[in-house]
Amino acid sequence: MQRYFRLVLFAAVMLVVLAIPVAAVLARSYFLAPTAQPVKAQPIQFPHQVHVQGMGLDCTFCHRGATTSAQATIPALEFCMNCHKIVPWEGRPDLERLVEAFQSGQTIQWNKVHQLPDHVHFVHAVHLNFGFQCADCHGDVGSMGKPGVKQVRDLRMGDCLTCHQQNGARTDCSVCHY
Amino acid sequence: MPRWGMVIDLDRCTGCGACVVACQAENNVPINTEDVYHQRRAIEWIRLERYWEGEYPNIKARYIPVPCMHCQNAPCEPVCPVYATYHTSEGINMQVYNRCIGTRYCAINCHWHVRFFNFWEPKWPDSLKNQLNPNVTVRSRGVMEKCTFCIQRVVKAEHQAKLEGRDLEADEFTTACAQACPAEAIVFGDLDNPNSRVAQLVNSAVNERGYRLLEDLGTEPSVYYLKKIDPEAAAEEHSGH
Repeated sequence: MQRYFRLVLFAAVMLVVLAIPVAAVLARSYFLAPTAQPVKAQPIQFPHQVHVQGMGLDCTFCHRGATTSAQATIPALEFCMNCHKIVPWEGRPDLERLVEAFQSGQTIQWNKVHQLPDHVHFVHAVHLNFGFQCADCHGDVGSMGKPGVKQVRDLRMGDCLTCHQQNGARTDCSVCHY
Repeated sequence: MPRWGMVIDLDRCTGCGACVVACQAENNVPINTEDVYHQRRAIEWIRLERYWEGEYPNIKARYIPVPCMHCQNAPCEPVCPVYATYHTSEGINMQVYNRCIGTRYCAINCHWHVRFFNFWEPKWPDSLKNQLNPNVTVRSRGVMEKCTFCIQRVVKAEHQAKLEGRDLEADEFTTACAQACPAEAIVFGDLDNPNSRVAQLVNSAVNERGYRLLEDLGTEPSVYYLKKIDPEAAAEEHSGH
């Protein structure tokens, strides 16, 4: 034993040292800890708080696809400009960026916050039709101001299945995976 | 609960191949190049089988479009070690791509050769990248894939019916191959709904000239074929040609 003591000690130390970066990478990975992610940087720091709490807008006022289709959809710039053409934008960098993009005919490349893998097909409309509220999965987005939206719910398969079982929804694989 | 099925009228089929192309476009099936065919690794969820009837000069080209038969006793299902292929309650034989580990047992056990393995990462020319169907998963290397009876259309129609608070109507939607068929040889629908065209065909025409491919294996395929027996060819067959 005495003979191998230094070897065993070396191996133990190496294991600990190697485990640290592995654990650090895993802890930051999206699919192991979806809710522990830092808020994603967006091209425009869009404050939901101002629009929902300040203006009293409903989620589906802008996310129009949510009640009728699979995707909740992010509104087109034209839609933003319906209101923002009368909102003063000078000296407000985020709004200037919006107007500039609109005038030059570009789109805003938003970063997706709630990511599902490509082999999962989630349909917003049927969930809302069943009686769920947006906040059941997305949290109180209305109180999320700058810098942006944070994911509050796990949204991994276990989460989906638990909810499907509790509400008597189908749990066939092909309901979501095809 | 519907039970999906298909009737293919071979007397109407002209072998044009529209079903193959439509399926390829709808289901994000990669483009098969010539050497892929030589290696017998081409992916075609529905394929056209050609055979000859008679001998030159009295020869006729015949075609059979072959999609997955969606057997009710599917031989591919029990052999999967990870339950990646299974039967839905609506009679569709489904492949769960994210569960598949690529053992290929199912393809070996399939008598119709309608299961395809992704030997490579799928590739499309740049000009076709934007035509991929967002409602269908792009299968990555190492998983099995197959005809799904356009499950994305099934799910979409069911959701739409649910949103409008009604039941699915007969022939409300159809698969890509049936939609593209110019001769309307392919009919898809709910076998249990007496108003659907496919159920009416199964109740009438199938009794006169219907059969199912390799029916005697007892796997209960959901795809029916219609074909009038050509007396001339049948006679030749019996006379030893």
